[in-house]
Amino acid sequence: MNEYSQLGVRQIHEGLRAGNFSARELAASAFDAIDRLDSQVHAFLELTPELAYEQADAVDAAIAAGEPLGILAGVPIAFKDNMNLEGTHTTCASRMLETYVSPFTATCVAKALDAGSICLGKTNMDEFAFGSSTETSFFGKTHNPWDLDRVPGGSSGGSAAAVAAGMATLSLGSDTGGSIRQPGSFTGTVALKPSYGVVSRYGVVAFGSSLDQVGPFARSVEDAAFALNAISGRDPLDCTSQPRDIDYTANLDAGINGMRIGVVPSLLELDGLTNEVKHAFEQSVAKLEGLGAEIVEVELPNAAAAISAYYVLGPCEAFSNLSRFDSVRYGHHAHGKNLEQRYEDSRAQGFGPEAKRRIMLGAWLLASGVYDEYYIPAQKVRTLITADYTKAFEKVDAIVLPTSPRTAFKFGEVSDPASMYLSDIYTISINIAGNGGMNLPVALGEDSGLPIGLQIVGPQFKDENILRVGAALETLIDIPRVAPLEKGGRS
Amino acid sequence: MKELTEVLEDWEAVIGLEVHAELTTLKTKMFCSCPIEFGADPNTHTCPVCLGMPGALPVPNKAAIESIVLAGLATNCDIEKHTMFYRKGYFYPDMAKNFQTTQGPLAFCMRGHLDLELSAKGAAERVDIPKGEDGGYTTRIGITRIHMEEDAGKMTHLGGSEGRIDGAERSLVDYNRAGTPLIELVTEPDLRTPEEARAFMQKLRQIYLTLGISDCSMEEGSLRADGNVSLRRRGSTELGTKTELKNINSFKNLHDGLAYEICRQAEVLESGGVIRQETRHWEPGAKRTIVMRVKETADDYRMFPDPDLAPFDLTDEFIENVRAKLPELPDVKKARFMETYGLPAYDAGELAGDVEVAEFFEEAAQDTDAAVAKKIANLIINDVSAWANENATSISASQITPAALAKLAKLLADDTISSKQGKEVLAALIGEGIDPEEYVKSHGMEQTTDTGAIEAIVEELMAANPDKVEAYRGGKTGLQGFFMGQVMKQLGGQGNPKVISAIVTEKLEG
Repeated sequence: MNEYSQLGVRQIHEGLRAGNFSARELAASAFDAIDRLDSQVHAFLELTPELAYEQADAVDAAIAAGEPLGILAGVPIAFKDNMNLEGTHTTCASRMLETYVSPFTATCVAKALDAGSICLGKTNMDEFAFGSSTETSFFGKTHNPWDLDRVPGGSSGGSAAAVAAGMATLSLGSDTGGSIRQPGSFTGTVALKPSYGVVSRYGVVAFGSSLDQVGPFARSVEDAAFALNAISGRDPLDCTSQPRDIDYTANLDAGINGMRIGVVPSLLELDGLTNEVKHAFEQSVAKLEGLGAEIVEVELPNAAAAISAYYVLGPCEAFSNLSRFDSVRYGHHAHGKNLEQRYEDSRAQGFGPEAKRRIMLGAWLLASGVYDEYYIPAQKVRTLITADYTKAFEKVDAIVLPTSPRTAFKFGEVSDPASMYLSDIYTISINIAGNGGMNLPVALGEDSGLPIGLQIVGPQFKDENILRVGAALETLIDIPRVAPLEKGGRS
Repeated sequence: MKELTEVLEDWEAVIGLEVHAELTTLKTKMFCSCPIEFGADPNTHTCPVCLGMPGALPVPNKAAIESIVLAGLATNCDIEKHTMFYRKGYFYPDMAKNFQTTQGPLAFCMRGHLDLELSAKGAAERVDIPKGEDGGYTTRIGITRIHMEEDAGKMTHLGGSEGRIDGAERSLVDYNRAGTPLIELVTEPDLRTPEEARAFMQKLRQIYLTLGISDCSMEEGSLRADGNVSLRRRGSTELGTKTELKNINSFKNLHDGLAYEICRQAEVLESGGVIRQETRHWEPGAKRTIVMRVKETADDYRMFPDPDLAPFDLTDEFIENVRAKLPELPDVKKARFMETYGLPAYDAGELAGDVEVAEFFEEAAQDTDAAVAKKIANLIINDVSAWANENATSISASQITPAALAKLAKLLADDTISSKQGKEVLAALIGEGIDPEEYVKSHGMEQTTDTGAIEAIVEELMAANPDKVEAYRGGKTGLQGFFMGQVMKQLGGQGNPKVISAIVTEKLEG
């Protein structure tokens, strides 16, 4: 069987047009790869072969009829399991929604499928997207295709691993504090969180409504841009979505000569930043300079407070968003002797420990008296961080940061929640401010041999800057795009 | 228990209202495109948004924002341009998300007021305020705010006790109502009597109906009021502990429930007891209030700004556009009716309070003089309204046209027919849509107003009864009735009593 699913979007497009293979063969190749690999990786929670072959046949019929072919036509794609697709399970990797079948389809999923991409299935994640390792999934962990003893990052670990292992060409994840970019960094994938509002959140089960944003995983910057073209845009069903009519592939070849790229010296002095990540970062900056960019030092004085603000705002919104899971209309239910007991038992059984931790934290933070002490100051910090970014972007066209302070860790290695929360130290402030950020794999660690990512951050609603910088730097990067699927081989 | 008026001699009642109005005239719900319809089959007007399905998001209904701004402008509120929706958390199956989307400390409409005019009848309960010549008084009631929120679904509990969820065998939820836009008006504690509370509700209902933002059906629950009431000794400025009367569904129940509660509280206080802060329910049949719930601790709703809904930034242009849509409000219309048609305040107020009735009146009264206008007003207020109430219909659903009513009024005003005959004509008008002038002719109802003919008859009678003329002139003025009766008899009952009376008196006085 050919490894068609390792191809990029443009290669698939040209191959289909040339008649080198059919969309059905592409789909079959993807499911074959899943058959061979996913017993080790466990990226998928549900496969949708019927839908995939139906879509593939439609693409093949369109080709046969000589109809124009969209760029994503026939491209195998996977969706994080917090995205509704009518008729499929949407579990959020929680026992609470183990049997829940979506009655409608999320806008981002509908847009990707309308563009002709072929749905392979739904991917594993941290329960309700609470986590940075995909270890909190009720349905078992996902393994990092670069080292099966290690986590793929999270919470969109399944979507990252599916693309990294070559099972899917594209996948969609969601990112509330780093849940696309951090697993992108751990799995060596291009992973883009657009500016808040670029992609509709309608149909994506909410974690932190003011922070959540959907974005793609891909094996190249161009593929990520193709995906963003398909899924972005104003959605009348999401009043926080923005009208942005942009071709994100337009300036991928423009180079970065003369672009101003910011670095933040104080953020390279944080505890926990490993030498190999710091070194890879410095090398990347040197390459950007070599490509003609002007490197400018900028400050984000309040960025250090981002984690504190995030762990106030995130749990508050999560507490409220997860209130609907009460067992009354759907979801896991226990038979309590009265309404209150039923609520308590159903939620006690349905939610895992991390979900409970965040719900309880949110419930406490929003309680009268406490709210004024935490929520209000956190909103003020948010305003300050947003202002920091606005100010910095007066001087630069993009900012580069490490994506994660370290490479992928082993299962169980990070066990206390506070340390786990620190793995998002470089990504969280960007969600707080609402800007876009992208992980670009730039090196394999000189100590770990594992992928290291560079995070490229853009001004709000200038995500095209991010892609442009990424595409330029990508030309100088030479690491495998598909993970080798090794076990314990790299540490 | 003492009577209300007796209680109010010693105690001052402090009353505040919370009035919920569903914006029933909108086509769709507050945050989704489901239709708003009362009485549809359960759960047929629902979607992922109003069912709170995971992933669904709210999109605010702009028309609802317009409605609440209209309500605010009509009740003299300041319109707040920068407001947010908040989430109010509580777990109960009538709200699928387990939070209600409502407004926070700042509502769209803040700091308004309404001026109430209490008639002599309604004024009786108020003992501490000087009354006007007509026995009434006016008072200004502050409005704290009007905010926007979504309604909950409707629950029905089967089996077990008293329709409550505790002990019920099964509970059913109908989410058709869930997400219906609701505006809640909160008054300052400025009301002092149950009559004022009733007058406030009636006035507010008139305004909302005039604005066309709600059908204001208290029966169907699209307009409902909660009343807070506490007592304090006359002269005291401290507030007493209040109780809350929930979900009152008629003006009468609002008045009677508050009146009962005032008397009950007075009895408790006078016997040395204390009032507990509690929610009570008015039972109109038993004529008493009963405890629904005792509030020991304040509920914690964990309110915070709804992150799915961007803060509102109403522009001056938007507000001015809404202002331009304000119809003529009942108070303004009343003043105009008094000015234009010379109507007394009561008549003008009655007509102006109902958009349809006011329109009908104006069409009928155009090109008439004040006397005819007054007759039209009488006919509408006394006769047509009574008929419409009895038959649960409206003036527009009747056979009456404004032109026909104007004709009838004119016949009455120029004494062509008597008021008793007028009622007969009106009945025919309502039932068959006859032409009043033709009807009066064909039924021989025209009164003789031919003064010459009447004078001739009077002179004849005086000549035939000189002794009675003598007696009258000697002071027995009651004999005027004898002459009138004789004249009327000769005219076969079709004489105009006013005209006859005037002529008889004139001739007898010599």
